[in-house]
Amino acid sequence: MSQSNRIKGGQVDRSKPLNFTFNGKKMQGFAGDTLASALLANNQRLVGRSFKYHRPRGIFSAGSEEPNAMVHLRRGAAQEPNTRATVAELFEGLEATSQNHRGSLENDLMAVTDLFSRFLSAGFYYKTFMWPKKFWEKIYEPAIRASAGLGRLSMQADPDIYDHGFLHCDVLIIGAGPSGLSAALSAGRAGARVILADEDFVTGGRLNAETYDVDGMSGADWATTARAELDAMDNVRLMTRTTVYGAFDHGTYGALERMTDHLPDSDGKPRQVLWRIYSKSAILCAGATERSIAFGNNDRPGIMMAGSVRTYANRFGVTPGKKVAVFTNNDDGWRTAHDLKAQGVNVTAVIDTRADVSHTLDGAKIKLGHTIIDTSGRKGLQSITLDNGIRIDADCLAVSGGWSPNVHLTCHQRGRPTWHDDIAAFVPGGDLPPDMVVAGAANGTMTLAAGMAEARKTANDVIKSLGFTPSRKAAPKAEDEVFAITPVWHAKGGTARAWVDLQNDVTTKDIKQSHAEGFRSVEHLKRYTTLGMATDQGKTANVLGLAVMADASGKSIPETGTTIFRPPYTPVPIGALAGRARGKDFRPFRLTPSHTWAKEQGAEFVETGMWLRAQWFPRAGETTWRQSVDREVQMTRNSVGICDVTTLGKIDIQGRDAAAFLNKIYANAFAKLAVGKVRYGLMLREDGICYDDGTTARLSENHFVMTTTTANAVTVFRNMEFARQCLWPDMDVHLISATDGWAQFAVAGPNSRALLQKIVDDTDLSNEAFPFMACAELTVCGGTPARLFRISFSGEMAFEIAVPARYGDSMIRALMAAGEEFDAVPYGTEALGVMRIEKGHAAGNELNGQTTAQMLGLGMMVSKKKDSIGSKLSEREMMNQPDDMRLVGFKPVDQSNELNAGAHFITKGDTPTMQSDQGWMTSVAYSPTLGHSIGLGFIKRGSDRMGEVVRAYDPTRGKDTDVEICSPHFYDPDGGRQRG
Amino acid sequence: MANLTLTARSALDGFTKDYGTLQLREITGLAVVSIATPLDGGTVLSKAVRAAFGAGMPSPTMTTVGKNGTRLMSSAADQILVLFDHLTPDANAVVHAKIKGTGYTTDQTDNWVALEITGSNALKALERICPIDLHDSAFAVDQSARTTMEHMGVFIIRTDAQSYTLLSASSSARSFLHAVETSITNVL
Repeated sequence: MSQSNRIKGGQVDRSKPLNFTFNGKKMQGFAGDTLASALLANNQRLVGRSFKYHRPRGIFSAGSEEPNAMVHLRRGAAQEPNTRATVAELFEGLEATSQNHRGSLENDLMAVTDLFSRFLSAGFYYKTFMWPKKFWEKIYEPAIRASAGLGRLSMQADPDIYDHGFLHCDVLIIGAGPSGLSAALSAGRAGARVILADEDFVTGGRLNAETYDVDGMSGADWATTARAELDAMDNVRLMTRTTVYGAFDHGTYGALERMTDHLPDSDGKPRQVLWRIYSKSAILCAGATERSIAFGNNDRPGIMMAGSVRTYANRFGVTPGKKVAVFTNNDDGWRTAHDLKAQGVNVTAVIDTRADVSHTLDGAKIKLGHTIIDTSGRKGLQSITLDNGIRIDADCLAVSGGWSPNVHLTCHQRGRPTWHDDIAAFVPGGDLPPDMVVAGAANGTMTLAAGMAEARKTANDVIKSLGFTPSRKAAPKAEDEVFAITPVWHAKGGTARAWVDLQNDVTTKDIKQSHAEGFRSVEHLKRYTTLGMATDQGKTANVLGLAVMADASGKSIPETGTTIFRPPYTPVPIGALAGRARGKDFRPFRLTPSHTWAKEQGAEFVETGMWLRAQWFPRAGETTWRQSVDREVQMTRNSVGICDVTTLGKIDIQGRDAAAFLNKIYANAFAKLAVGKVRYGLMLREDGICYDDGTTARLSENHFVMTTTTANAVTVFRNMEFARQCLWPDMDVHLISATDGWAQFAVAGPNSRALLQKIVDDTDLSNEAFPFMACAELTVCGGTPARLFRISFSGEMAFEIAVPARYGDSMIRALMAAGEEFDAVPYGTEALGVMRIEKGHAAGNELNGQTTAQMLGLGMMVSKKKDSIGSKLSEREMMNQPDDMRLVGFKPVDQSNELNAGAHFITKGDTPTMQSDQGWMTSVAYSPTLGHSIGLGFIKRGSDRMGEVVRAYDPTRGKDTDVEICSPHFYDPDGGRQRG
Repeated sequence: MANLTLTARSALDGFTKDYGTLQLREITGLAVVSIATPLDGGTVLSKAVRAAFGAGMPSPTMTTVGKNGTRLMSSAADQILVLFDHLTPDANAVVHAKIKGTGYTTDQTDNWVALEITGSNALKALERICPIDLHDSAFAVDQSARTTMEHMGVFIIRTDAQSYTLLSASSSARSFLHAVETSITNVL
């Protein structure tokens, strides 16, 4: 491979050639190259098309600020769009393709948009697509969507994995350039725990791009030496390929570490890790970004930032052109000219907007006090035209409009940068994130020695404040380069468009138009023109745009103001944000103790919160879930069924005041509950609305076990802890969750007693010895401790038996074995639901945060003889109106009709409207016991309307069913069966 | 009484795996019993605990280790956990008897799954799921903390220089194991 633009020097490893392709074309670079440097080495100047006008674009910079060189990397499912070629490390076999063109990169059909550019200026969308209104959805939006965006997704699942992680440090140093290394050495030598992070794959920052000496060696060598010293420190964690992308609350920073992006394959390891870094202090040493100058046709491939051209020459041994011209308004541009010259590159001209400078360069045309007003070369720069009409041949133009400190992270908590005239740039200002300080070029200290010294001093101040003793080692010896700038933002005089924001195709004309149309606030300017709103956040464009706006308004830049930056500093892949949270790893699963057994039975499972519960247990020959559920209900009601109810919340309550405490927690009385008894309890919120119900058993004088609904287990525990710790701290009461500790099974049906009698050890379960609502601590199966409660959710004679969870799997097998002679059946949550609806028990559907005890028909349970949470507010007049909703039952007049939860009740003859709405259906089921669909629901004055027929109106399902209001207790309303 | 017996089964069936520089195993046979301090009963309970276990009441974030390796850990306000090797399901009675009823005890053994992660890369793996600072200077041997890992509540105890015990809810034991294993395989 030719690598025709490869020159001497640089830090690439020429002994390690790497093959890669760009748009299928085979090329070669070296280890240490970025994709951009390798493309330039191969004289590939055209790398993409611009966003809006599909203008040919080349590589503009050498870092993460790159607005132009966005490419697809890799192929197939692993293809990633919008990757900046300037930060993509070259590896063997890398496949890159250009993006945002129809047809080939060289002959993009969409380039026709550039011909209509005068009609596509700022605000074009807002003005054009307003009418006709009906065109928007069918014509405009699809057309805009089809042409919008840069790269394309693969539309396949991301084959890589991602991870998250947590790091802690005394000092986080962001940026490992000369300032960052200097700060890290100081903090590290003092013994502080340091994290030094840099987005590049080498440390040293600009030292690798310059020819400065530090401590008597080249800057790059000094950086290598510094890194070696830091690597040897146990207290320093040096993270390259890591972008600190956001400053969040309390010294927390987000960082993205690219673990395998530089490798051909991730080998099953996370491609990227998103770190949350907790720091006591942070030092931002993020350096500065060079910005451009606006002049006619300043976006052609080959027109680049001067500092970046220098980077390619010094760090990568690549010249971006054979005939390079330099255009600058400051001394830094001259360094590019001198460095290229020293590398043997033909520098054809240096154009400095300042007339009074003394720089010279042998062999180059020196044009002082001049600007460039136009360029030529459709797919690559060919010449430049000066304001005096002189045309100079050049295939690369290195532009320097000055440097802007990278203040981005200082803005993440609303810090607003302030303008410094001496460097013509914004520096960190306003309220920085707490405990963040800034050093070096990021702080506006633009020269090497001064920046490193400032970083050292800043680090020493920080670590002193953290209690460390700073090292006495002196600051590295370096020199301050000449730094002087006379701002020139927009080279006027030409007629061609001058680009400001290359990624969003914003020109000086757009900015002036924004001003002319009244969008004069910088925030309005930004949104109207989209300046700085592309993926690069306008790193090379924002200040230039503000300057053009200031010029248009006749104000200074500080008077014009500035927008601020938000996280992320550079784009973070969605996959990295998601981390492991994909598919079944989105959240944990909780499994019941009988889960393995249920799986063996072929159970269908349902997610209830995080729990996986058996929904039903299909048997051979059953083709629909209803067949299974109907069978489970019928067999339970006819003989005995077993259901895993472990998921119900269990709270162990102990203390001398436990009974008194429960009396305050529950709306109904608990103080006098006898030992060995269970009581149903109702809990109200502070505002008197019901929020949970359950049973509580008194195991001994000072020991209770409460059950809550599955959904509210945590809420109830938390509320009770609040009550215990904050409302009544003088009560001797103690809570601890026991939900996971006990495997609990409901055993329901007329044969439940007979089955359990085979399980329990020496305990009489007769009605006399163990009546309805009894409880006991006992042993089962020959000595295993257990708890037995005689409670019923199904309406049948029923028990709940609990054993330590480690015996849960064994217990379900024992219960089924003991029940074999009774044809015992396991039942799932569906049958459980059917039976509770048949019985008329309220559940989550009825306790929806809107319902009162009165509505539930449980008004009498709210004791007037004591004070409990919510009891007083439940007495409010408007919560106790005669026409309040009441929970009642509903059955279809035509029993072949199915009912639906969510249907609203309308009085017969009324038109269904919000005003005529009488209530709603909360729960429905097909009752195999009754042979038709049944429902529970709330309807106004429900208990006074028994027998009335109303409409169950369900417009979302297109149903309108006549239903008869009836008792909610469809099954065994007198409770004879459950009392046995 | 039926001729049926129940067999204990640990949450992870005694999982154990060697990853070279790192080992992960389920700690089976570890009893966990909570002791809540009765109102105004702190002094009496402290004495009883020291007499029973040979270790003092632990302060928050610390554990104390007593006779036969029994570890006491602060778990909440006025509440500690006693962790000790004990196979049979009568740990609550044992602890209650040892402290002579001076505190409110609850058997927590089956609420928890216990994992032990050991090895030179344990910290590296835990960095991927554990939000708290486990550096020597912040989390010494015998320290403990309550935190969350991959949405699951966890007690973490540093039992040795390179060894950590993780307690998480037994119902989500499989998810917890998966989370810890993923952390290991992601870094090794």
